[in-house]
Amino acid sequence: MPTRRFKIFRYNPHTDERPRYQEYEVQVPTGSTVLDALNEIKWTQDGTLTYRRSCRHGICGSCAMTINGANMLACEAQVHTLKRDPIVVEPLRSFPVIKDLVVDMDGFFDKLLLVKPYLIVKTPPPTDKERYQSPEDRKLLDGAYECILCGACTSSCPSFWADKEFLGPAALLKAYRFIFDTRDEGVQERLDVLDNKHGLWRCHTIFNCVEACPKGLNPTWAIGELKKKVISEKF
Amino acid sequence: MRYRWFTGGWSWLLMRITGGLLILYLGLHIYVLHFLGKGGEEFDRLMVTMQQPIFKLLEVGLLGVVIYHSLNGIRILFIDFGRGALYHKKLFWFLMAIGAATFLVGAIPIFQHLTPLGGER
Repeated sequence: MPTRRFKIFRYNPHTDERPRYQEYEVQVPTGSTVLDALNEIKWTQDGTLTYRRSCRHGICGSCAMTINGANMLACEAQVHTLKRDPIVVEPLRSFPVIKDLVVDMDGFFDKLLLVKPYLIVKTPPPTDKERYQSPEDRKLLDGAYECILCGACTSSCPSFWADKEFLGPAALLKAYRFIFDTRDEGVQERLDVLDNKHGLWRCHTIFNCVEACPKGLNPTWAIGELKKKVISEKF
Repeated sequence: MRYRWFTGGWSWLLMRITGGLLILYLGLHIYVLHFLGKGGEEFDRLMVTMQQPIFKLLEVGLLGVVIYHSLNGIRILFIDFGRGALYHKKLFWFLMAIGAATFLVGAIPIFQHLTPLGGER
């Protein structure tokens, strides 16, 4: 069974003066993910190693972290595809570290709430049943509704590194998901939140978010569509 | 912030660098042109200096900077006003291929101008 070295970011803000890196050697059977290796370390070598995990199937978004310098889900990152030795595992960039690989995502979710991530309706439904959405209208939301809110995109965004008030790609993608929902009636109140220097216009189309998204989504494209929407609403 | 560089990051960084270089060039260009106001003789002397190989090499560099900045600008137009965000990498490399060909077409005559067998010196 092959053995791989892992260099893992360790930091406890309550006890450590500064972060450090600790190396571990782990036996990795074929098909192992980075999350499998972290589990192996925690369960057999060092119980103090701290990280988030939940579903192990790339859908809960808990285990997003920076692996070999790029954001990805630990449960999806196959060890054999990672060529660098040792494999460097760090917490998501730009979020405050709580401990080791666990970051504080409160700010991330606060930004999400700013764009009102829910259907806003002001008129009663046309019938006593559900609000109708045609298959064509539903298709408009493809590539937007699949976000699992792991934070990999926002943490990879240089605009967010430079401006912590920037809403970030995840919140903007969520805004797109509701603004382009034909049943929604809260377009203007959302656009008011997006149309400022910490909103849409902070995106400089660097596309790190697209590279980082574990679901293969394209927040930069959604942000572009929102920019066009804001402009077309004005003229 | 240390993070892996991808195509989008490089294209953004090069856009900033070439933008800065173009601003610098425009300043120098206007500075050189202001010698026209000081009489033809002084300007001609400056033009002779500008024929030095180092300035020809800088001209080749300028060509590369202008080509990159304008082609990436076109890419950004496609991203902002079209559907370029959906195929931004392919668009980048397609435009860079056009840029490389354009650069060669422009740079070769300048280099030939530098050699003794080339055009007038």
